Amino acid sequence: MSFAEKLNKGSFVVTSEIGPPKGTEVEKMLEEAEVLRGMVDGFNVTDLQSSVMRLGSLAVCHLLVERGLEPIFQITCRDRNRLALQSDLLSAYVLGIRNVLVLTGDHPILGDHPEAKPVFDLDSVSLLKVASTLGEGEDMKGNKLDGKPEFLLGAVVNPGADPLELQLMKMEKKIEVGAKFFQTQAIYDLRKFEEFMKKVEKYKVPILGGIVLLKSAGMAKYMNEKVAGVSVPERYIKMMAEAKKKERPRISIQIGAELIKGIKQLCQGVHIMPLGWERYVPRLLEASGLA
Amino acid sequence: MEKAKLIDYTKFKLKPREEIEEIFKRVNRIFIIECLKCYRRFDDNTSEFPRLLDILGEAGRKISGNIGIDFLCNNFLSRKKILSLEFPFDEDIGVISCGLGVQFVAQVLEGKSVYALADSLPQSANSTTEVGFHGISLQEEKCAGCSECYLNLTGGICPLTRCAKGLLNGPCGGAKNGKCEVNPNIDCIWEKIYERFKKQGRRLTLNSVQIRNYSRPSLNLRKNLSVQNQARRGESFYGGLYPPDKKENTANKKIENFPEPEIVTIFLSQHTGKRARPLVKVGERVLRGQKIGEAEGFVSVPVHSSISGKVISLKEEIHPASLKKELALIIENDGENLIDPSAQPFRDFRNLSKDSLLKIIREKGIVGLGGAMFPTAVKLTPPKPVDTLLINGCECEPYLNSDNRVMIEYPEEIFEGVKIVQKILEVEKVFIGVEDNKSEALKILERHKEKIPSIKLLSLKTKYPQGAEKMLIKKVLDREVPPGGLPFDVGVIVLNISTVFAIYQAIVKGLPLIQRVITISGEDLKKSGNYLIKIGTPLREIVTHSFGEKREFFSEYELKMGGPMMGISQTHLDSAVIKGTTGFTILKKSSVKVSEERDCIKCGRCVEVCPMQLYPHYYVFYGKRGEWEKAKDYKVEDCIECGCCEAICSSKIPILSFIKKEKEYARNASKT
Amino acid sequence: MLVMQVKPEEEILSRVWGRRVFIFECFGCREVHFPEEKIETLVEKFKEKVIGKLSCDYLCRREFVQDYINEYCQEIERAEIILIFSCGVGTQVVSSLLEDKIVYTACDTLYLNGFQGLTVQDFNCNQCGECYLNYTGGICPLTNCPKGLLNGPCGGAKNGKCEVNPEADCAWELIYNRLKKQGRLNLLKRVFPPRNYQKIITESLLRKGV
Repeated sequence: MSFAEKLNKGSFVVTSEIGPPKGTEVEKMLEEAEVLRGMVDGFNVTDLQSSVMRLGSLAVCHLLVERGLEPIFQITCRDRNRLALQSDLLSAYVLGIRNVLVLTGDHPILGDHPEAKPVFDLDSVSLLKVASTLGEGEDMKGNKLDGKPEFLLGAVVNPGADPLELQLMKMEKKIEVGAKFFQTQAIYDLRKFEEFMKKVEKYKVPILGGIVLLKSAGMAKYMNEKVAGVSVPERYIKMMAEAKKKERPRISIQIGAELIKGIKQLCQGVHIMPLGWERYVPRLLEASGLA
Repeated sequence: MEKAKLIDYTKFKLKPREEIEEIFKRVNRIFIIECLKCYRRFDDNTSEFPRLLDILGEAGRKISGNIGIDFLCNNFLSRKKILSLEFPFDEDIGVISCGLGVQFVAQVLEGKSVYALADSLPQSANSTTEVGFHGISLQEEKCAGCSECYLNLTGGICPLTRCAKGLLNGPCGGAKNGKCEVNPNIDCIWEKIYERFKKQGRRLTLNSVQIRNYSRPSLNLRKNLSVQNQARRGESFYGGLYPPDKKENTANKKIENFPEPEIVTIFLSQHTGKRARPLVKVGERVLRGQKIGEAEGFVSVPVHSSISGKVISLKEEIHPASLKKELALIIENDGENLIDPSAQPFRDFRNLSKDSLLKIIREKGIVGLGGAMFPTAVKLTPPKPVDTLLINGCECEPYLNSDNRVMIEYPEEIFEGVKIVQKILEVEKVFIGVEDNKSEALKILERHKEKIPSIKLLSLKTKYPQGAEKMLIKKVLDREVPPGGLPFDVGVIVLNISTVFAIYQAIVKGLPLIQRVITISGEDLKKSGNYLIKIGTPLREIVTHSFGEKREFFSEYELKMGGPMMGISQTHLDSAVIKGTTGFTILKKSSVKVSEERDCIKCGRCVEVCPMQLYPHYYVFYGKRGEWEKAKDYKVEDCIECGCCEAICSSKIPILSFIKKEKEYARNASKT
Repeated sequence: MLVMQVKPEEEILSRVWGRRVFIFECFGCREVHFPEEKIETLVEKFKEKVIGKLSCDYLCRREFVQDYINEYCQEIERAEIILIFSCGVGTQVVSSLLEDKIVYTACDTLYLNGFQGLTVQDFNCNQCGECYLNYTGGICPLTNCPKGLLNGPCGGAKNGKCEVNPEADCAWELIYNRLKKQGRLNLLKRVFPPRNYQKIITESLLRKGV
């Protein structure tokens, strides 16, 4: 069953993120994907994550399609103007890609080419709208397309953001212009997430709660300080701090599993962002009872 | 030369009809605030309001009122204006302005719905990201403020603002017949660059590849500069300038006696108010300190001879302040300096009553020595109660050091003088304000300050014209003298430091005001310095002393009585030093004669620097049209003639000459 | 508001190297910002090659500059390069009037918020030609959000601070707070179409001489 079918049926879905390499060596990345075959319903392929130049999302999605794995093509507004964005969406469709996650994208100043010209010709809302229009057989200027790309369009939302109302307004807009599912920023605080879910219930749109495995107490503290909408509870930080280095993956998986079990009660899926710890994802899924 | 073409850089235009109609559907009652536009030739029809009414038709009924404001983005003045308006609770605000004005109004009236009724007009031909700024001028050239100037590589033609693609490494190849493919109305700028290099016999080498660094200028740098500069502009009081102070030449020169003049020319009018009546006849001998002119009326003071000798004539000479012919007594110096018996110290001055002190001050001819020459005795009998005495030691004019030297060399006398004034005014609170470029004076006053426990000595950040009474009061006491008002309206009396010294001399030494300290400084001087000079010393002697004989003096130099900012340009060497002479500044006439004055381009600089919060560009506008009386509507009488507007004018318009004439009209209008 | 900074010393010295220089120095915007001392120390390093120097204001006004050039024509004639301390506008004016001379600028120019408005201030206007302020409570998302987002925040703000420049407030949170205060949050519901960049070309054509 495809990712879209599962979503429509209302089944619980699992997606995981794949980070394309900086360079052309794709074997390791593909192996990591291979390990998850059958365990996850979709692979999010990031688009120059954190504004760091690397192999493109489009090519990697295509490689996954070739191997019979289902990709979710992440596309950001940072690097392309409206011509290139529309064209890349057409290309993606032709290459067998059916799921697209639309994001604004980090600012280039945060990445490894801070001198770059930021494009942001469109933003996530307008790009979603454009993608929907393309699906109806027209480009954004109303010109007819010969063959139309019909995607399952997704977007992101940050449940921990403050003020939340502002997030919700943007989420509403995204739904209005065609977002059919949402993946969230990392969740560590289940109670807060539950409140969020209560607020978005009315939209009746599938939400996949985000999971980022903690690698250390330091990482948790860093995220608390710097990453928008993320607050790792003291308890988890303490658990990570007390664990010996060798023990950390085990503890981290234990935390992750606890969160996934909680999320499962609240929404329709989970989205795992391993950030280099792809190898631990199978164990995490097992521990959460999803494998 | 052909008059250069000015470009109309109006920043905004009304939104399209549909959008305006849409906005008016949403509102019930709306008040319109409109910016009267900048960076365009100043003419009548700057208002968009009539056009708005045209567009609206019936819907125009919803407009409850409107106001046009010059330079709406001027944080200080416009905020004041907007906050003085009263808006009913349910009223929305419509703004006709560029994005700056709209954002500004929205911030000032945060609780209100503010609608933009205009769109800003893009200024650059580059459709990628460059905005393009034209500087002050209204010319074709624009700058993107990219912070990594490429002009050295492109023969001084900016590819960022003038190439539609902002290409840095050569043309795109799309130009046809030298015209841009994106916009056939403009030249392909890379072809222009190529041609210019060719003209210079240089080859345009494009071998270094240029890639822009979009992370420059960093957001923080810009933010910091903005904050710094805003703080600097708003320091102490609104407006003003930071001219180079040029005081170093004479700051450390001790006060010397100026050589004895052969004759003195003593004007009978050396004060605000009625001219003094001559008491001596031609041929009569007079003594130093002898009263030779009697005060006429309440606002007037007597004048005294500064030397002993013979009165040789009573005739009209050009007065150095009014520049008109005025009556003066010419006295020939006998070199004896015989002192008039009336110039006796008052041994018992500490026991003198307030009234007798005032009488002495008046009798000794004391006036304000800062330049205005208002009779001090009158000033010290204010019609309203005052609680503060403010001693002005700012001397904010460039070049001048006379007050500075008096503070350094006569601190004790100054403090004694302050005590006398305190006694007259019956005030405890005394402030002495000195600008921080006079550190030595500050140090010395600091050492003496325990003589008066209630005194506060303030070191003020240097800014012109801080020495103007109203600015100083604002800075030191944060009180604002109302328009048309005087310091006593806010409970303050301001005295110049040299006036205090003169009061001391009058009362303790019994000396009438027959001499004072002045600075002679400027450019190309053989001798410069600070001098104790006799009132009436002819200007000729000043020039010969500091300059030597110079025949073509006035063709090459400008002689200003006072400093370069407020100083009065002298034209006659027979004119003479008066009580209000703070010094002389001799400046080289600019070797470059700027061709005839330009039109006002509404750059707004004059408004930004006017410490009296006036709108000087209107004085020029109406003056040029000969509608002199209109300036009164723009409060021309409040102008203190500090010269900031003229100094900063980007069109080099002699604004003060317009203002002086308009003030005269305003005065006459008030009389009738 | 244009503000200039002196370019790196090595760069200027390598351009000037051994050649006769005539200097234009513009302090027209000194009341805002003028790197006077830096210019002095820099010029000191090649002062023996300086054959003339003109300090003036408003180098951006062509008619004045023409007068200055007429007055100093001999020195300018003898100079091998003309060095300019001014913003980019001044440099372009001088080089357009001295087309056969090598004109170098010694400064980089950056602009301050408040663009051509009267005073430096917090506000900035992008001159986009299609003002959005009506929907954003009078806070410009183009100039206040580093990504220029029109449809809401990117979600990267932490504690109300921008992810790109943590010293700046998230523009969209400011917009939200202001509209909330005014009870106009419904304005945020509108989906904005992408910007019309064509306007920049068409509108900049509207400039007419007066």
